[in-house]
Formats: sequence, structure tokens, C-alpha cells
Amino acid sequence: MKILMLVMLLCYSFASSSGDTTIHTNNWAVLVCTSRFWFNYRHMANTLSLYRTVKRLGIPDERIILMLADDMACNARNEYPAQVFNNENHKLNLYGDNVEVDYRGYEVTVENFLRVLTGRHENAVPRSKRLLSDEGSHILLYMTGHGGDEFLKFQDAEELQSHDLADAVKQMKEKRRFKELMIMVDTCQAATLFNQLQSPGVLAIGSSLKGENSYSHHLDSDIGVSVVDRFTYYTLAFFERLNIYDNASLNSLFRSYDPKLLMSTAYYRTDLYQPHLVEVPVTNFFGSVMETIHTNSAYKAFSSKTSNSKINSEMPLNQLSEDDELQKANIPNDELKTEKQKCPYTQMRVDLQEKLEKLENVDTVVNLSIAVMFIVVMVSSSLL
Amino acid sequence: ASAVASSNSGEPMEGTSGSLNPTTDTSGIMPEFDPKTMRSSKPGLKRLFITTSVLFSFLLGVPFLWKSVEIYRSPLPFHDIDSLSDQIESTPLRFPCNFHAVFVGFRSTDADNLRSQIQDGINQLTHLSPQCGSCSFSLSVTIQNPAEQCSETLGHNPSSCSYRCGMIKSNDFGVGLDDTVDESLNDVFSGCSANSRKMYSVVVVNKENANGEDEVKAVVGKRRHAWIVGSGLEERNDDMVSRVSEIFVKMFMNGGRDEDSIHGEFMPVGSDGRIVLSFSLLNSNPRDWVYDWDFQRIDDALLAPVTKALAPIANISVESQVLYHTPKSSFSSWDEQLQSYIFRTSDLPFFVNSNEWHLDTSAGASGRSKILQFVVYIPSGSECPLLLQLPNGEISKTNGFISPMWGGVIVWNPGNCDKDSESPIRNTISPQDIEQIVEIFLGQFRQLFGFKSEAIYTSVLGTYKILPSERGFTEWELDVLSRKHTCFNLHSCSTTLSSLSKLVRSLPRMIIKDEIGEQVKYSLKAAKLAQSNASLGGYSSSASSSREARSLAENAFFHPSIMSVSYFSYEHCFAVYSPFFLPVVAHVVLAALREWKRYRQEKAKYLTWLTRKKTA
Repeated sequence: MKILMLVMLLCYSFASSSGDTTIHTNNWAVLVCTSRFWFNYRHMANTLSLYRTVKRLGIPDERIILMLADDMACNARNEYPAQVFNNENHKLNLYGDNVEVDYRGYEVTVENFLRVLTGRHENAVPRSKRLLSDEGSHILLYMTGHGGDEFLKFQDAEELQSHDLADAVKQMKEKRRFKELMIMVDTCQAATLFNQLQSPGVLAIGSSLKGENSYSHHLDSDIGVSVVDRFTYYTLAFFERLNIYDNASLNSLFRSYDPKLLMSTAYYRTDLYQPHLVEVPVTNFFGSVMETIHTNSAYKAFSSKTSNSKINSEMPLNQLSEDDELQKANIPNDELKTEKQKCPYTQMRVDLQEKLEKLENVDTVVNLSIAVMFIVVMVSSSLL
Repeated sequence: ASAVASSNSGEPMEGTSGSLNPTTDTSGIMPEFDPKTMRSSKPGLKRLFITTSVLFSFLLGVPFLWKSVEIYRSPLPFHDIDSLSDQIESTPLRFPCNFHAVFVGFRSTDADNLRSQIQDGINQLTHLSPQCGSCSFSLSVTIQNPAEQCSETLGHNPSSCSYRCGMIKSNDFGVGLDDTVDESLNDVFSGCSANSRKMYSVVVVNKENANGEDEVKAVVGKRRHAWIVGSGLEERNDDMVSRVSEIFVKMFMNGGRDEDSIHGEFMPVGSDGRIVLSFSLLNSNPRDWVYDWDFQRIDDALLAPVTKALAPIANISVESQVLYHTPKSSFSSWDEQLQSYIFRTSDLPFFVNSNEWHLDTSAGASGRSKILQFVVYIPSGSECPLLLQLPNGEISKTNGFISPMWGGVIVWNPGNCDKDSESPIRNTISPQDIEQIVEIFLGQFRQLFGFKSEAIYTSVLGTYKILPSERGFTEWELDVLSRKHTCFNLHSCSTTLSSLSKLVRSLPRMIIKDEIGEQVKYSLKAAKLAQSNASLGGYSSSASSSREARSLAENAFFHPSIMSVSYFSYEHCFAVYSPFFLPVVAHVVLAALREWKRYRQEKAKYLTWLTRKKTA
């Protein structure tokens, strides 16, 4: 009996020390579109639609990393310049306002993507291009493009393998860069991309199984290409019904995918994810709910002093500012003095320049000096 | 046997020599000579020498080739990393603390008994297994009776800060402000903080004459001492003992909190040991009114002491901005009774409007610093005054809230909410209001570090007043912070280094630059220094060395050259070099083998000829 209690106590202390009790502090989103070329318009529209959704539900730009491999809005073939649509009714312009793309064009490579995930950037990379998550962050990772069995194609030139992704996630987990991670992939044979994942706290959903293709939803005859993929279309349809205060669960999102409409099987794996999907609200990943604690009282560090102190605190401040000014005034003089002491040559030149500037009639001086020079030359040549 | 044409044997040089050489004729009877199985001259070694020298030169070049494709890996001290992480896992780091209790005005002389009672009390309160960063304490008790004679516990370390009898008089207490009492007690105990062992003291004063008041007052000072004043305390001995042990454990060991460990989300120090405090003054609708603040003065007078006090724990820098047209994204409703606009705690998560509030524009913060945003929000004329209502119906005293690891928001209402019909005037927030705002900010800052924002602690035994310090944290609170942060930093450093060693060992063909090796070395050195400082009792020095250790370990782990995609496997290397070398090597080896075989054949031929000659 006592041994059992001891074992339970040990287990409890072990569980609490392993960090499962960290609270959820913020949400991040990494949205990646990996395809180039005009005929892959729909992948760009997918990513931009999801960007708009997570922004609407509250994740700010500073916590979204948007990677777009090509530019559709300003593409020469775009009939509607600076506009990107995800529906043929053209009701919603995804590129309208406040779109902040962090990695664009040729910057979207496998190496940069893995650098974003693992956090290994060069020193000069700005904060807006880094995934600055901490151990309480929930991260949504959305990838779309062309994929296959255990790979995802980047820019038509290189591939991201499933073991690379699993390795990056493992390193992220070891470095405590996320509390929970949700991977959503919309490509052909998407479910194979997360085959090799083994880190706990990861939830993954793909638009199709191995051997299945993911299809586009409809063709926009005006623009000339397909504008959205089926999986993303039905995901967005689910989110358009939500607003920032709702708490629909992840389970309802996953149940909303109909294989007949998708023409593929949306497969998700939950073996690495402990909480039950019914209890997890979608805003855990797709929205942003800040954890807030009310400040009960002020820390009365200054009001304990009497009212004299405020005046006292004002006076020394004035003195301080005066002293600062005096010091500031002194410093240039000192600098000048030291400069004078340093270099007599420059001093001489400065003096000369000042004298020259004071001269009123420069021309006569010049003429005079030319004449003097002439005389000197004559004299010296006659002496030789 | 007619001489077969020598050209058939394929050896034009020596085929005919046997039959043409006249010396063999002088021997007399010429033995039967068959050029296919015999040769009359010893085979030369020139051919063999040439081919084997080519092969040999190839073999000589192999080490050079190997060296040129070798991956430079700076040797990492894997053994030291493993031993550090084992050490940190197995023995939680404990700091030495000295506890000293002084009982003034008590008539008993049994100091040892009191000491064992207090020790039992402390052990009861810390019955859980020792956490990292906790105190391994030594306790001493002094009793001073009303005649100013003292009895002390035996076996007490005769260090320089033993209490001189009669220094504390019971008349000092209960008269005047608590601050003056604090200062006078500091004079008494100040000799102790000179050396590295920190002494925490509790003074229990039993006043003789009661003016009919029976209350017990307990105050914890700004430095490292606390006092309890009351009358008739000798009778309530057990009560006093438990209050003293509570002060030792809950205040001086745990920092005024109930749990004794701080969670990671209340340690907002960036991995390079820096915090950036980013202050923003938000004018929600500048058409109504525009407010400004003299931030330079605020920084110099009010924030500089706080920054300096926390220097061992984090390198803090401060920046500020004023923003305009920044509405909030949640809604508020008019309350007729309170004559103001009300927003509730359920609205708090949606208060920060990240689309319009461009807070994260810091250019000074590098990638691994932590930025804490402190926002002072001035509501627009259509929502003025804006008050926060708590779930129990009360109105908040501070109108502020925090979000752990993000920062805090304070809603400040302008003095009068009447809008001027003319164009808005630019106002500056008055110094009194600034002081109030900074007080709320200090409360929020303490909350972000895991402490309470109010300066009072309540338990079943009574309330303790805590004197607030203008540095934001009292010295004993800073000690708690140093201890906990040392622990956290060392733990983080060791896990980072062991992850790095695992990663490096799993990628045998990855280049490890010298920089990484150096950073690991210095990180291990700083960690050892932190551990030794901790065992000696230097809280702030161990905190700063542990911070350095963590930052170096993070720099090594996040070095941009450690990318598994960039390094190729052995198979790839083989596939790159084999088209160059394999065909040539094959030919050279085959040629050498062929020459060797031919030499043996010719040697055998010569030997048979020799034996034939002998037998003939």
C-alpha cells in the first residue's frame, strides 16, 4: 500500500516536472506555399485564404510566417492585377489589404523552411522572419503544393522529405519550441508526409492518403486556372461560419470533411496528440486567445513616501537634466581641444582655410601669387 | 623442335634471345630448348617495377585524398556535457541560507529548545523533496530578556555577524513608520551581508505593557529581515514559532508565493539573457484628445533603479513609443449605475487589437531577446471613462491585466471626459499620474516574474505586511529570483548542450566549426562557475554566470551552420568520386597483377631451363 502511494507520488512528481503543466501562451502560424508558375495559382490562393482566416480569428502578423513561392497578384498573366481570388464569384480579394509576406519568391526553399522551423538563422535575419515561439506556443503549420509519396516539392526544383520534416519537428520538441503543433497538408498523397513523425504533442491532417490525388475545386474561366483546392475550400467553408468568440471543436472540423465531396480521404493522425479532439477548440490553433491575468493592485513603491518626495523627485531631475546639458556642452569643447592637440598639420590647414575665407578679394591675391611664382622661376633658372 | 617464331609468344624482346645466344653453344651438348616452357636468362624486374610503382604512387595518394575530403569537426567535450547533465539531474542545486531568529523581551533562556521547535516548523512546511534552487539552511536563535541579557544557541558559527546583545530595544518598535524601523534594523544586521553568506533574520518583540491592544503586527522589510511585534507573545509560544517558520519558508525561501517553484512561463528572460521593455502610449482616438509623456524622466528616475536591481538576472533595455489611432478590438457597455463604460474579464483576451496596434516594431532587439510590451491605453471620447469589472462585480483598482510572456496593458482614463469642441490639445500626463501608472506597471512587472503585485501576504496564521521597495523588488525577493533563475538557466543549459551533443553524434558528416566548440567550452566553464558560486552562497554571481552559460549554449545550438540538409551521406560521397577514380584504379591494379603473373611465369620458365641444364 505504502509502496503504491510512493510510486504514485513519484509518477506525479515526474509528470509535473516534465513540463506538461506549461500554460498555453500564444499561437503561431507558419503558412507555406511551395509551387511556382501561373498554373499553380490555386496553391497561392489556398495559402492566402488560410492567412486571411487566421488573421480574422486573431493571430497578429507578428506571429504569422507567410511563405509564398511565386507572385500571382502581379503576374503578367493575371487579368485582375493585384487581386487574388479563391472563388469564381470574385467576391473576396485575398490580396486586398494588410498582407505581409515574410518569405517570397526564391526565398522559399527547403533550407529556409527548415531554418524557420528549427530556429537556426544567420544573425542578421530580422525578427519578422523568425519563428519566435516558446514552450507555451501552439503552432499551426500549413503546407500546400505538389507532393507525393513521402515528399513535398519545393519550387519545382527540390524536395522536402518526410524524414527531414520529422527530424525538424523532433529538434523543435527537444528545444521546447512548441507546446502543441498542428500540421495541415493539402497536396497529393499528403498523409505520407507525416509518416515518420514521432514527437509527442503533434496533430497532423492531410488531404489524401497514399495513392490518392487531391483535386482542385473548380476552374475559374475568367482567370483561366483553378482557383482553390477542395480540401482548403471545405476548410474555409467551415471557418467562414465562425467568429472570434466561438468555440467549435477540432473534432467538428475534422468530421466536416466528406470524402465524396473531397474526392479523396482526409486522413488525420492523433496518436501523438493527447487531448481529446472533442474538447479542443479550433481557436487553440486557428485563432488567438491570449491568456490574461488581472493585476490586483499597484505596487506602492512611491506613495509610501510623503508628498515632499514628489517635489524632491522633481528637483533632482531638473538638476540632472541641467547637469546633462552642461556635460553635453562640455564634451564638444573637449573634443575640439583634444583634436587641436593631436594634429598640428590639420590645425595649420584649418588656420589657413580660415584666413583664406576671410579674404575679401581673392583674385588679387591669386594674381599676386602667380606673379611671385613667375619671378621665382626666372630667378632660379637664371642662377642655374 | 624447330624454333617457333618468337613473335607468336607476344614477347618480342626476349623470345629469340635463347636461340641466338652463342654462349650456350660452348657448353657442349645443348639441352633441348623449348621457348614455351624455358628461358635462358633471368627475367628482368623492370616491367614489374614500373607497373608496381604506378600502383604504389596511387596508393601513396590515397591518404592525401582522404584528408582532402575529410570533414572538419571541432572536438566537442561530449564526456563533460554528459557529466554536467547527470550532475544537474541527480543533485538539485541548493543554496546555503542562514536563518537567525531574535526574540526580544522573552524571559525564557532555553534557546536550543526554541531552535528545535522552529526547525520542526520549517521542516513541516518544506516536507516535499528538495527542489532545485531551495535553501539548505542553518538556523540560530538568540533570546534577549528584558534586562538585556542574551542566551544563544550553541554550535552557532562564530562568524563576524553575531548579534550584539542589547542592540535591539523593544521601544524601537511600534513607534514611527515601518520604514524607519526597517532602516534601524538594517543598521543592526548590516554587517552580515558584507560576506557572501546571506543572513535572514526575524525579530520577535514582546512588548511589556499592553495599552489594551492585543494585536500582533508582522512586517517583512525591504532588506533581509522581518519583525513581529505584539504583547503577551510569550504565552503564545507555538503560535510565534509557527509564524517565524512561516516567514522563513514562505517569504525568504519562496518569495511570498505558495508554491516553491516558478514555472517557465514566468521567467521572461530571453535566451541571450536580455529583456527589452517596450512601452507604448496608445491614443485610441486622437481627434478627441492627445496625450504625451516625458518618458526620459520616467526612465531616469523610476525605471533605472529597477533595471539596475535586476542586472544579475537579465540585461534589461527600455524603449518607448507613442501611437495614434489605435482602437481596441473588444466591446464595452455603458453602466448607468457606475456612470462609465464597463469591460469585463471575459473581454480581456480580445482586448489587444493586433491589427491596429503596431507594437512589435523594435529595431534594437536581436533575434533571441525577449520583448515585453507594456501598453498604456487611453480610451476615446466615446468610451470614457472605461473601467474593468471583475467577475465578482467589483471594479478593478488598477484597470490593468497581464499576459504571461507577452506583457501588460493599463487602461488610463483622462481626468475629465469632456471633449473640447475645438481641435484637441496636446496634453502631457502629469507626474502624479505617471507615478500611479508606473506603480501599476511595477505590479505587472512583478506578476510577469511570478510574484504577487500586492505587498501583503495572508495565511491562516495572520497577515504579513511587506514593505515595497522603489526598486520593484525587495532584496530577499531578488535573492529568490536569483536562485530560481540560476536553477532554470543551468537546467536549460544542460538540456541544450546534451541535445547538441546528440545531434552532432547523429550526423557524422556534419562540419562542426571552431566557433561552436569554443562556445560549448565556455558554456561548460560558466556552468561550473555558477555551480561553485551557488555552493558558496553568492546568489547574484551565480545568476549571472548561469545566464552566460545558457546564452552560450543557445548560441552553439542555434548556430546557422548546423543544418542536416546541407551535409551528404557516405553513399553520396562515394557516388561523386567513383567515376573519377574507379576506371583508372581498375586499369592500374589489373596491369600490376598481370605483370606479377607474367613475372612468375617467366621465373618458372627460367628455373625449368636451369634444372634441365643441370640434369643434362
